Amino acid sequence: MPELTMAELGYKKHLKVELFPTIWCPGCGIGTIMIQLAIVLEEMGLDETNTVIVTGIGCTGRMGSYLKHESVYTLHGRTLPVAEAIKTVRPELNVIVVAGDGDTASIGGNHLIHTIRRNANVTVLCNNNEIYGLTGGQTGPTTPTGTKTLSSPIGNPNTPINLQGLVRSSPHALYAKSTVYHQQHLRNAIREAIEWNGFSFVDITSQCIENNGRRIGFASANEMLTFYRKTFKRAAKGAELLNEHEIGILYPVDHPARNGQADGAAAAAPPGAPADANGHAPKVEATSAPAAKAKPAVSDDEKARRRAESQKRLALMQRLDPAVKIRVAKGEISLADALREAGVDPAELES
Amino acid sequence: MRKLVQGNEAVFHGAVAAGASYYAGYPISPSTEILNIASGYAAAHHREFRFLQAEDEIASANAVIGASLAGAKAFTATSGPGFSLMQEAIGYAQKVGVPSVFVDVQRVGPATGMPTMPGQGDIMQVRFGSSGDYTPIAFYPNGTEEAFRVTVQAFNAAEESRSPVVILSDTFVGHLNEIIDLDELAAEITVVPRDFAPLARHVAGQPRFFAGVLMYESGANAGEPATADADEYRRQFYEAKQRHLDVAGRYALYEHGWNRHAEVLIVCYGIVSRVAAPLAADYALFRPIRIHPVLGDELREITARYREIVVVEANDGQYADLVQLAIGREVKRVPLLGGRISIEAVRDGVERVLAGGPGEAPFPPAATERRRPSPLEVGG
Repeated sequence: MPELTMAELGYKKHLKVELFPTIWCPGCGIGTIMIQLAIVLEEMGLDETNTVIVTGIGCTGRMGSYLKHESVYTLHGRTLPVAEAIKTVRPELNVIVVAGDGDTASIGGNHLIHTIRRNANVTVLCNNNEIYGLTGGQTGPTTPTGTKTLSSPIGNPNTPINLQGLVRSSPHALYAKSTVYHQQHLRNAIREAIEWNGFSFVDITSQCIENNGRRIGFASANEMLTFYRKTFKRAAKGAELLNEHEIGILYPVDHPARNGQADGAAAAAPPGAPADANGHAPKVEATSAPAAKAKPAVSDDEKARRRAESQKRLALMQRLDPAVKIRVAKGEISLADALREAGVDPAELES
Repeated sequence: MRKLVQGNEAVFHGAVAAGASYYAGYPISPSTEILNIASGYAAAHHREFRFLQAEDEIASANAVIGASLAGAKAFTATSGPGFSLMQEAIGYAQKVGVPSVFVDVQRVGPATGMPTMPGQGDIMQVRFGSSGDYTPIAFYPNGTEEAFRVTVQAFNAAEESRSPVVILSDTFVGHLNEIIDLDELAAEITVVPRDFAPLARHVAGQPRFFAGVLMYESGANAGEPATADADEYRRQFYEAKQRHLDVAGRYALYEHGWNRHAEVLIVCYGIVSRVAAPLAADYALFRPIRIHPVLGDELREITARYREIVVVEANDGQYADLVQLAIGREVKRVPLLGGRISIEAVRDGVERVLAGGPGEAPFPPAATERRRPSPLEVGG
């Protein structure tokens, strides 16, 4: 069991636990977002004197009532103008907007576009569950094409909104994508977003089992989380765009912290290189300079092979005695030897 | 220093004198001058005054709410169509108790209407525009100096009642240029300060939760939704209503042009009262300045002295309905609608209704002939 940090132990003081259980359905993903937010607030030492939570209408909007922070529960879709004005009047406050995808991108879509344009220094945590949950499950702006909902009985005919594209249209905004399964990543993303000086947006895929999941074939919230575990992968370092089912944090293009590429393409000419006829330093291929530092590229096929191998090892490990498993994990004994001792043919490893 | 000041400009300077430090708005004639002046003022005084040109009136109204909760005295200005977009936010500010000021420089509606001829068609929108029940306070000045004073009073009333207060105006009042002394005016006002802690300054007790849904405000379950508790709703509703009525009572502003020969009282406000001023020789005039809630006691007492009450206004008789309801007595109405407002139209209308005729002006017979001929007609 990994050691708990102090923040993980202390996050409860940010929550009104006396109001629990929450109104959210069992299996809902919003609670995970709330707890990760509370842990980040604890880590960063934010409290009710320096942080204001602005929430919208919908299931997600109720988060404000469970957080021990001053909060404004705005009209449907109007979180961003309220948040921007609070930040304008009181620049010393951290203003965190928590809203659903319908609130942020549909009824509040115009405000989203223009708050991004004005680069308001607020953080948006968007609970993206791809559905209007509170009203029973209607098509939302992020509902995938073809999904059947109460308001699209033969499948959603439209393409979901491109939140990444919207946010990244600004040269100053930070965009992060995470899921409620990848909790450590989510926590980092929230922290990074709150620390970001400018507009930041965390797009959090989460499950709505009751009003979406069951209708599209999931039996339980656990299945949906398993689905996130299996389908969502971390984006490659230096990615400029997150593909579908990739999680990551995208900084503006010219930001030094951008995905570990701080010392990237802007490579200077190697010292001592001869100048060309016009006196200019010779051009260097952008890829050549950082090549020495970069890890060797791994092809998708190779990744798939490694993933299959590790899964096979995992399956074989299940057949071992727990005490032996620990020894294998510690490296005291190789898996092949352990299998041999247990009477399993180690050749299965190769097949 | 005495100088020529426009009605809209006077509203802005009144707001600053009252302590306003935040303006959010969206350009719309005939209120745009306020936005322009606010942006210039913010550029020159960026430490004490903030300005936002929002993407629409919905955003400006909500930004005003956010700024006010954060501790600034905030206001916005718009015209009829934008005021319609702000209604939801005004309802929110009523529910949550957000001191704020909304200026509506009216033009002829509905919708884009006759941009930007003067009208008074938003009287009922101020009263009933948002969903649910609430008791709004609204003022309607008819000149530049009064626009300044009334704006200060609107900000004070907003603080005292903790509610959004509306300043009504119209194209003529907004664009009226009069010579006034802003410094002298600013010296004689009193300003009501904010009396509740802004966001994140309320460290002593439990953190607050400003919500448009019904919430328990105190007690063991403070902060919990009370969305099914009708008794709690009644308690909060009547508390707010009483607070608004109490504050409105302190601003029972009106003008009564008494005339001892007159048996007829003309009730009018805003630009119509300026146009109708020459009629003071023949009629008594009454001009409500605090237009909502309707001046019930004052109207009952004053109208009792007259044989006939005629309400003249640049709409289809919106305020006449409210006056009739308040005094419990039939009033005659001269609906001028909007657009061209002239002393002749007012005088003819009043004489017509007093003679038992309709308040509406007859269509001029030449109206169809003034139609712009089509190119086909010209060619043929």
